[in-house]
Amino acid sequence: MNGMLQQFRLSLRLHYRNKMALLYSYLFPLIFLIAFWVLYRHENVPLVRHMGELFTVGVLGGACFGLPTTMVSERERGVWRRYRLAPVSTATLVVSTIVARYCILVTSALLQLALALALGMPMPAHPLDLAVAFTFVSFGFVGLGLVMAMMADNVPAVQALGQCIFLPMLIIGGVAVPLNSLPIWAQHVSAFFPGRYAVEALQSCVNGNGLSTARFDLLALLMIGAAGCLAGSKLFRWDAQQRFSTRSGKAWVTVAIAAWAGVGLLAESRGRIVTRVPESQAVVRSPAARSAVPGITPKLSAAEIAAGNAAGAKAAAPPAPATAVSTPAPTAAPSRPPGTPSGAAPTPVAPATGNSAGRDKATAPTAKGPEPVPALPPTAGRTPDVPATTAPAPSPDTAPPASATGPSTWTAVTLEQLERDLVFDRLPPDSGIVTPIAPADEEPDPEVATDLEFVRENLPKWQPGKVADPVQRARNYLYVAAVPDVFQLPIERYIASVVYDRMQEDIPKDQLIQVLYWIALHPAEGDESAVDQLWALHVGNGRPDMGEARDRVALYAVKLLGRLTGHIKMQ
Amino acid sequence: MAAKVVVQDLRKRYGDIQAAQGVSFKIDDGEIFGLLGPNGSGKTTTVECIIGLREPDAGEIEVCGIDARQRPQDVKQKIGAALQTTALQDKITPREALTLFGSFYRDSAEPQQMLDRFALGPKGDAPFDTLSGGQRQRLALALAFINKPELVFLDEPTTGLDPQSRRELHSEIARMKQDGHTVLLTTHYIEEAEQLCDRIAIIDRGRIVATGTPRELMSRSTAMQSVSLATVQPLDPLWLSALPGVDGLTCDHDRATFRTVEITRTLAELLKLLDARGIEIAELQVRKATLEDVFIELTGESLRD
Repeated sequence: MNGMLQQFRLSLRLHYRNKMALLYSYLFPLIFLIAFWVLYRHENVPLVRHMGELFTVGVLGGACFGLPTTMVSERERGVWRRYRLAPVSTATLVVSTIVARYCILVTSALLQLALALALGMPMPAHPLDLAVAFTFVSFGFVGLGLVMAMMADNVPAVQALGQCIFLPMLIIGGVAVPLNSLPIWAQHVSAFFPGRYAVEALQSCVNGNGLSTARFDLLALLMIGAAGCLAGSKLFRWDAQQRFSTRSGKAWVTVAIAAWAGVGLLAESRGRIVTRVPESQAVVRSPAARSAVPGITPKLSAAEIAAGNAAGAKAAAPPAPATAVSTPAPTAAPSRPPGTPSGAAPTPVAPATGNSAGRDKATAPTAKGPEPVPALPPTAGRTPDVPATTAPAPSPDTAPPASATGPSTWTAVTLEQLERDLVFDRLPPDSGIVTPIAPADEEPDPEVATDLEFVRENLPKWQPGKVADPVQRARNYLYVAAVPDVFQLPIERYIASVVYDRMQEDIPKDQLIQVLYWIALHPAEGDESAVDQLWALHVGNGRPDMGEARDRVALYAVKLLGRLTGHIKMQ
Repeated sequence: MAAKVVVQDLRKRYGDIQAAQGVSFKIDDGEIFGLLGPNGSGKTTTVECIIGLREPDAGEIEVCGIDARQRPQDVKQKIGAALQTTALQDKITPREALTLFGSFYRDSAEPQQMLDRFALGPKGDAPFDTLSGGQRQRLALALAFINKPELVFLDEPTTGLDPQSRRELHSEIARMKQDGHTVLLTTHYIEEAEQLCDRIAIIDRGRIVATGTPRELMSRSTAMQSVSLATVQPLDPLWLSALPGVDGLTCDHDRATFRTVEITRTLAELLKLLDARGIEIAELQVRKATLEDVFIELTGESLRD
């Protein structure tokens, strides 16, 4: 025991004497965090939504590169051979190495957290749960690192093996690229990587519901970690001369792989693999609202519209970043809390009607940082800009079903429903790549300006803009903005404003609000033949993925709605 | 005297190479025992099997009365070992290494005591990567002694060291003997074995070919002593070949070398002959049989190949 303690202390001490190791284990995760923050700052992506990923990247680097590199280089140089002359057990070396690495990972994560807090992130919602989740994540990845250390014969082999695990895990394993941005097949693949479970578990503690919704993730990490540690101990070799390829007992690697496969299959059997949700549905709070259940359907009154429009939104005015935040709500992207039903179900959150306590909290000006905290419980919410938007956001898993008050037709839409069902702060930023809208004072290139002028002139004459049904007409107009967005044409950032102008000329404001709400909640409805008429406006080059195009139509609808109702401030 | 080490019919094979094929020997308490053999003769394999670095294919090994194959960890408590090269982490200090390794044993010496004994005091807190070859080897010895061992294994401890460091190490080993330690030393330096060891086992191609004190080995040898002669006047080979016991004669004008098993009689006859012919001696050398001659005689191979 004394030997284990001494070895543990020495491992830490030597780590802190090695400048390169320090750079890698402490500076690298901080640089990653800062890079992330700097890169996405302008898109107003809150760190709180990404801490699961950032922590996981740190642990992954430390466990997949740091741990095996140290172990293999010591073994390669014959350090362990000297240890073996003493009565040291494999367990002494393995346990002390793992615990020392855990301490390094924890301190590194604390630094990351401190930096994130300094950059304005609110405190994690469940700090104790986070510590537990972090321990499981570390255990899972350290087990993996141990197997790598035993498989690799030398340090270059560690690097190669590490990249083979690190990069796929980042890209299609749900670590760096959000799961819901991945194609369905990649989401299935990700179920076989520990990375996604790590991100989910950590994220649920930072801005979700804590470990209560991350039990499967913890189980997955435990299985992967235990199998890794077992295989790593069984494969343990003291001497570099014992090559992995010539050793008996290589079959233990299959134990580690079997754990990954087992976790993947278990996840598949639970049907919790696919988390993809169209972006437009992320802004919709109640699924019931979309189901068009007949219910209370008071007409939208002029007074209501006037009240909703109190912020003085001038619809045609240049848009501002979507900061008119309503109530905090669970994150839909990028890291959805676990337990979300499979399929493309929308965020299953309904306001807990009558929860006055929650409402009070939600409206209380408790936010400290500059970031919106969309997925936190009400305590961490921001001061709403619009008094009407006060619905608290309970757990996506435990919330009662939404009140069945969805309007039966678009004409039955009320402002109350709009306030209840739409979350404007989850809109993609205007400066992003999805549904971009340039600021009004931004001059397009001359070529783009010519194209834009052509659209402006011809839109009133465009046939799909003359259909009788205002909902279909609005959809048709929105395709004019959505299709260039899908194709990422140069005109995409400017065309939405032209389309918005035309829609406001063509459709009365109160009607337009109802129509846009209807489109936002029913993106799959309506005719899409207008897309084939875009040539008349010299826009688009063929048919895009219509699922994507409909998604963008809904998003642009909400963005205009936000402008019309004052939820999105004008510059 | 109780045997500290008993090795019986030790066998170890690496693929097609039979590194040890039935090695047997005993080391008595308090003696310095040398395992002498050329590179690849199996001496390191033998030592590594005894100290638990390798698992032998067959044979019995008893160390300090303990079955080393059954209870290797118990054996490690009682022995110390310094390998040909000792690698440690770059930034570990000798003091830390001694503290760490001391913690692995039930009983251990004070690190400072070991630093002082092996003249590492001034380097006690210097990182391992700043130590010289000799300092590293002394640290290896200090580590070997940290658990107050009954028996110490030194595997080619002086290989690659400069003459000064080698001399220092030799005096350390001599001191071990004075302190009553039992030592197993492997080496391919004949003079080292001759100078330091009480008994020597000569190992070749995985087999022990002879065991005894250096003197016993040389006296047991039938190797002939060699004579080299230089004269002022020219020599006639016929005169020399007629001398009693002469073998392997080479003669070139005024120089000659030959071997003989009857050195006294041959020399007496040689001097008589030279005196009678009026030939003046410029140089006369007689060399007795060395351990190397013994080795060549036993194995038919040069030791330093």
